Amino acid sequence: MVNAIKGLFISCDIPMAQFIVNLNASMPASERFIVHMLDPTHMFVQPHVADFIRSKIAEFRDQNSYEKPQG
Amino acid sequence: MAGGDGDRARAPKRHKSSAPSKAALVDESAEFDYADDFDDDAHDADKEVKKRDFTKLELKPDHANRPLWACADGRIFLETFSPLYKQAYDFLIAIAEPVCRPESMHEYNLTPHSLYAAVSVGLETSTIISVLSKLSKTKLPNEIIDFIHASTANYGKVKLVLKKNRYFVESPLPEVLKTLLKDEVISKARLAPEVDKNAGCVRNLSNFLQDSLGGPSFSISKTAREIVSGHEDLLNGMELAAATEDKETHSFEIDPSQVENVKQRCLPNALNFPMLEEYDFRNDTVNPDLDMELKPQARPRPYQEKSLSKMFGNGRARSGIIVLPCGAGKSLVGVSAACRIKKSCLCLATNAVSVDQWAFQFKLWSTIKDDHISRFTSDNKEKFKGMASVVVTTYNMVAFGGKRSEDSEKIIEEIRNREWGLLLMDEVHVVPAHMFRKVISITKSHCKLGLTATLVREDERITDLNFLIGPKLYEANWLDLVKGGFIANVQCAEVWCPMTKEFFAEYLKKENSKKKQVNSFLSFHYYVQAESLDNCISCQALYVMNPNKFRACQFLIKFHEEQRGDKIIVFADNLFALTQYAMKLRKPMIYGATSHAERTRILYQFKNSPEVNTIFLSKVGDNSIDIPEANVIIQISSHAGSRRQEAQRLGRILRAKGKHQDRMAGGKEEYNAFFYSLVSTDTQEMYYSTKRQQFLVDQGYSFKVITSLPPPQESNLMFNTLDEQLDLLGQVLNARDDMVGLEHLEMDADGKALLKARRSAGSMSAFSGAGGMVYMEYSTGKGKGAKKHKDPSKRHHLFKKRYQ
Repeated sequence: MVNAIKGLFISCDIPMAQFIVNLNASMPASERFIVHMLDPTHMFVQPHVADFIRSKIAEFRDQNSYEKPQG
Repeated sequence: MAGGDGDRARAPKRHKSSAPSKAALVDESAEFDYADDFDDDAHDADKEVKKRDFTKLELKPDHANRPLWACADGRIFLETFSPLYKQAYDFLIAIAEPVCRPESMHEYNLTPHSLYAAVSVGLETSTIISVLSKLSKTKLPNEIIDFIHASTANYGKVKLVLKKNRYFVESPLPEVLKTLLKDEVISKARLAPEVDKNAGCVRNLSNFLQDSLGGPSFSISKTAREIVSGHEDLLNGMELAAATEDKETHSFEIDPSQVENVKQRCLPNALNFPMLEEYDFRNDTVNPDLDMELKPQARPRPYQEKSLSKMFGNGRARSGIIVLPCGAGKSLVGVSAACRIKKSCLCLATNAVSVDQWAFQFKLWSTIKDDHISRFTSDNKEKFKGMASVVVTTYNMVAFGGKRSEDSEKIIEEIRNREWGLLLMDEVHVVPAHMFRKVISITKSHCKLGLTATLVREDERITDLNFLIGPKLYEANWLDLVKGGFIANVQCAEVWCPMTKEFFAEYLKKENSKKKQVNSFLSFHYYVQAESLDNCISCQALYVMNPNKFRACQFLIKFHEEQRGDKIIVFADNLFALTQYAMKLRKPMIYGATSHAERTRILYQFKNSPEVNTIFLSKVGDNSIDIPEANVIIQISSHAGSRRQEAQRLGRILRAKGKHQDRMAGGKEEYNAFFYSLVSTDTQEMYYSTKRQQFLVDQGYSFKVITSLPPPQESNLMFNTLDEQLDLLGQVLNARDDMVGLEHLEMDADGKALLKARRSAGSMSAFSGAGGMVYMEYSTGKGKGAKKHKDPSKRHHLFKKRYQ
């Protein structure tokens, strides 16, 4: 029998995929959201996590970018 | 989602390109709207807009002919395309601090310190105001006029005079001295007055000026000229007469070790009686003259002349700092200054190599006799002969606190006892550090000249230089020097190297464990660099050893060596990476533990052999190693967010190359030097990299971003296969912490210090090239930025959206 799961298809570059994998691994087992890793740049995740991942990535990038302070 | 890196928010950097268009827009209507100015504190944004609304400013009818905008908050904007640019620039550089100088529009800031510098080079309050209002497109706001008056009114009322190895605070107005003595710091620093038997003209009026403070008394020197002529102690009288125009001078002596504190208290932000330090060297008959002249072939360039004229404006020598880019000929300025003063000169450099270079420069440009110049380093202790001489040494040699060998103790004693005409300080940006202050208190000099290329530090101690040395006398505009062909035209590029999958996975793991240590992820930025580096050393190793970065580096070396025949310097702060890269690519390297002899040999080969075109340097190469042949720099790792290091490294290739006419605008070679910074994307390195570039961006340089290096078809590079990459990863992970760690540099210290192990457990400071200095993320000014991300409600509205 075919099992269908509603989910979200993510396509990104290799480092970001690793970031998401890492994020997934840091969650408690019940909250892990990656359904299937398709290849190094594509994955299938639970549908409800889009905003969460987005904000985490934004936070991560913000840390790595410098803004000139206005004196 | 969140695909490539193209959408990365790097707004501030790109913003500068919009400056010219803003200028054009502003030209049409006098509206100054800074709402688009980035501000970290979003809830302040409304206030900011109001504060920076200059619609009220009255535009002069002939505003198109005038080159600058002066705003009420002290900011000044200069149009570089104006026909009056040159004159306006010379004037502005004297009265204001340059903030940002891209191609078409410069930003300056009027500060009490900059105005202090202005009056100290001889500009008068009324001149400043009248010239500024002449150049301004708008009527000068009253705030600015008041500000200039307030900042300059007290200038010149107090003098610091060095007489016979003792420091005196002098003023024609006893009230001023009384005000000063009310200050706790100054009254403590004061030495008890004594009757000076030698100088008959100095009477000690101990009963004079008794007041509530317990009777401070000033020595009053009658220095009226008619008295002098009939006086027995003619010399002393003359000296005093030269120092002042007034009939009476009141003075008190201060403790030499407290001079710095006293000066600091007198600065505009404290008591506001900035001290004037001038040296009337022509009339100084106490100290013997030194016979030296500039050789005729030494022709100072226009900007060198200009900087010297600021220093010797009224026939006397002023203490201060001259800022010239690396490679623009700072040494000639220093030597010329020494030749003009013609007194004993103590020249301080940062290490033994640059001591040799300074001694060489003195011999090259001036007619000084060989036995009048001596070097004093740990392995080269030349006795100095004669009454007056030039001594070249390092900061460490003078400041060294431990036990010295007998020889050097003698020389130090000599240095301590001598009254130096000129104290010449190279790379003065390292001076504020604790140990270097000692140097200034040990050596007594009439005039101090600081030379530097980068007047920025990541801590706020750069302002200390105002009282340690003096105001900034001159600062050259880098882009103008490039246009004039005096320094090389450098193409700066940031090469983005994506992390490989395996390295990035490890990096994230390390970051997670770090997160646990530093309880809040976001507070990471404000940690003093020392701490974050400790936490992150293994992270750093990962992004530095990123195989893609290695491949990019290898590709660039190949390209420049084979296709252009360039000489390349590769910089790596991380010792593990330095050795790995150098061994894999089979290139020579120099780091802290490399002996002086070997360094000299490698540098010689690099300069002369066609076989050796690439060398790897650790941070020992940052300052003062003169490698004029090199024209390409590849930076694979760096000291976090240090803007100074970035600028110093760029300076290694700034020395102009090739024929002069080729370098001029429209010449054959548009760019003749290249500066590559290799950055692993999605890591902390991106943050640091942008921060580091800030100084150069403010000087008008632009960084090109290269994303596709090495080209995919290039196949004979290392680490092509996954196996090789995994092998490297294993090495990085297994490397012991001390191997991955940063290099600890013992700077050139006294002989005894060098007998200890070379790689001693130095502090952060030692290897940053400036003892005692703390690297800190901070925002210039109000310290707003320091709390940048702590409170999400204060985030800029653009970023708020992302942080629901």
